Amino acid sequence: MFKDISEVKSALAAQQYIATDEIATVVYLAQKLQKPLLVEGPAGVGKTELAKAWAGAAKQELIRLQCYEGLDETKALYEWEYAKQMLYTQLLRDKLHDLLSDSKTLAEAADKLADEEDVFFSKRFLLPRPLLRAIVSETPTHLLIDEIDRADAEFEAFLLEVLSDFQISVPELGTIKAQHLPVVILTSNNTRELSEALKRRCLYLYIDYPTAEAELRIVKLKVPDLSPQLAKQAVELVQRLRKLDLKKHPSVSETIDWARALVMLNSKSLDQKTLENTLTVLLKHEHDVMRAQRLLSEFTIGDEKEEGEDDDDDDTVPPLPRRSSPKR
Amino acid sequence: MEDRIVEFVNGLRAAGVRISLAESADAFRATEHIGIIDRGMFRAALRATLVKDSVDVPTFERLFPLYFGSGGPPMFDPNQELSSDDINKLKDAVRDLLGDDDRLQQLLRYLLEGANPTREEMERLANQAGVPLARHPYQQQWLTRRMLRQLGLDEEFQELMAQLFQKLEQMGMSREAMQRLAQIAEENLQRLEEQFEQYVGMQIAQNAAKQPRERQTFRGPDLMNRSFSSLNEREIAELRNQIRRLASRLRSRAALRQRRGKRGALDSKRTIRANLRHASIPIELKHRRRHLKPKLVLICDISTSVRAVVEFMLRLVYELQDQIHSARSFVFIDDIRDVSAEFAQHRPEIAVQKVLDDNPPGYYNTNLGYALTHFCKEHLGTVDHRTTVIILGDGRNNYASPRLDSFQEIKKRARKVVWFNPENRRQWGTGDSDMLVYEPLCDSVHIVGKLAELAEAIDHLFESR
Ligand SMILES: Nc1ncnc2c1ncn2[C@@H]1O[C@H](COP(=O)(O)OP(=O)(O)OP(=O)(O)O)[C@@H](O)[C@H]1O
Ligand SMILES: [Mg+2]
Repeated sequence: MFKDISEVKSALAAQQYIATDEIATVVYLAQKLQKPLLVEGPAGVGKTELAKAWAGAAKQELIRLQCYEGLDETKALYEWEYAKQMLYTQLLRDKLHDLLSDSKTLAEAADKLADEEDVFFSKRFLLPRPLLRAIVSETPTHLLIDEIDRADAEFEAFLLEVLSDFQISVPELGTIKAQHLPVVILTSNNTRELSEALKRRCLYLYIDYPTAEAELRIVKLKVPDLSPQLAKQAVELVQRLRKLDLKKHPSVSETIDWARALVMLNSKSLDQKTLENTLTVLLKHEHDVMRAQRLLSEFTIGDEKEEGEDDDDDDTVPPLPRRSSPKR
Repeated sequence: MEDRIVEFVNGLRAAGVRISLAESADAFRATEHIGIIDRGMFRAALRATLVKDSVDVPTFERLFPLYFGSGGPPMFDPNQELSSDDINKLKDAVRDLLGDDDRLQQLLRYLLEGANPTREEMERLANQAGVPLARHPYQQQWLTRRMLRQLGLDEEFQELMAQLFQKLEQMGMSREAMQRLAQIAEENLQRLEEQFEQYVGMQIAQNAAKQPRERQTFRGPDLMNRSFSSLNEREIAELRNQIRRLASRLRSRAALRQRRGKRGALDSKRTIRANLRHASIPIELKHRRRHLKPKLVLICDISTSVRAVVEFMLRLVYELQDQIHSARSFVFIDDIRDVSAEFAQHRPEIAVQKVLDDNPPGYYNTNLGYALTHFCKEHLGTVDHRTTVIILGDGRNNYASPRLDSFQEIKKRARKVVWFNPENRRQWGTGDSDMLVYEPLCDSVHIVGKLAELAEAIDHLFESR
């Protein structure tokens, strides 16, 4: 338990997470009010990272449920281990035979077998998936439900039930109730609207792209080898790119990737050549790269490009290396 | 402070943010933990508990300083900068110049002496300017200017100031002191304007919150129940902002139905097949899946009379894509065009805009009969026994043939054919409307003249299976 907001902030910083006052306040509140926290914001602003850092700061296990289209209850909750059940059936075949051999009728044998059913549907054969793991955990945990907007609404409705009482019923076993209420963080990229019922239950945190100052701190933290001056320039440039009308704006993780690339290439300044070689780390659409190039020809220092009239013709842009950078 | 928070919640609601009782209770609990000393944290606490949707964040940011702001910067006190001799000269000059014109005296007291307007003075000016009747944020600037005018800040004010400075010069005030005084007046004018602006903003928010109940919670439903044809551009834009929310509500309903109707009867064939690997011991039970997600083909009239409805229809359907097995969309005025590709490439709001931009109204005459016939020739393959075909249009055919034969052909292949018509039943069959001859051939017909009706009609698509 964090005792105040500044403690949240420093604990997250110790996990290499730069939290704004707002983020720290909301994390503190979620813990105090024991409510799930729904985090929204553009891709790559550190939503998932926040969950990890929070769990790390609280020294608790982080259980992660990654959502995707088609995710259903069984994959989120539990599955029966068929193979193991089969193996036991095989190995116990003789025992079963003994048990059933003196039955006179089929019905009697079936009844006897039914009496032993519990053996095969016990916790021994239950394979817990993230939700059940969080519920049965002996120690308090953090449960991250990542990218909930990618799951079907049907799954969301089911999740709502689980979040409201943290108990689930397994038909073969009965009801299982959580020993400790997990800390729950949901993230969403807002690709679709979530249900009002779910949102009502949660605290809400919108994380936007960081300010230049915050982003610089993140870069310095994650890529300490980059010279402070270059880091500053890089962040300034990224911040300017975010003001352009692009298909996809560079995220924080892309700023970090870029900063790493600059270190790797041993760059000394953001000259035209460096930019040409590395811009594709930052921008993922060819069209965006071209637009950025136009902005940058004004941005780079000491670059003697003529102030031509506003030329929208893409042919004037020098050819670019194809993207070869790995996806994070 | 509790009262202030209650007022703030009401103000947010009036501005269209939906806040449940449970959520406002959360806000109180949160502020108990956070306290009110640190404004940033206090703000964060309210935001995390009251706002659950990124589109509402700007509203929150606009209203917060109105309810919890300082009320604007205090006036600058010239006593810090001018000698008492100069101050006395100033007072004499003002008295000489204005005699007992109370109004202007007051204005100069604010600007030159740094007096702050009292609550009562502010109220009186606001009443004179008509602030109590204002309900819309965009009136804030204008009303602020009116209050300043009430106070005497009009065209003649410049002249008055010139006379004042002339007088001060005659009384022997130094050039530097006069310059400083002018700066102070300038500065205080800005501060006064800011104070007024905050006051007016707060009043407007409170007035809006006092509106009758049904209007208060959500302006959407109000507009949702007005016919598309009666809405102006601003209202349409406001409705557009509510679409994702509306879609979310429809989605929750559809998803709940899916959940309830999920398991069909035991599918013995699939069960046996699945359990072959378990030595035919039926460990995995397979149930017949019900195909609850509808398969849609949309045929939309985008001539002028139906455009607005089509926009909302397409937006809603594609926002709900996850609840739909598949959707193909066609638009027509005189001829039919497959626009499904736009929706595969772009977000719904952008795709809709492109479709409408690419097919401007006004150049052609609607010809539904021809469009249906062409559809049968080119696109009939998109329709099968699971498909619900939706025709959205007013059934006005410019006296061309309705081509019932083509309609029948589509109907034969489809699971059903549903018609969405924005016109009232009363108008059907009048003029060039062929609605009465199409109607008996449809499995159902829905009137969709308002967004509320459209939403209900779409909801129906998920109901029947
Ligand atoms: N405030 C921060 N402090 C430290 N690192 C950060 C911060 N914000 C972002 N990052 C860095 O950015 C990277 C991307 O963050 P993360 O993957 O959590 O983003 P996300 O919001 O979950 O993105 P997505 O929506 O794509 O899942 C992280 O690896 C982390 O290094
Ligand atoms: Mg993530």
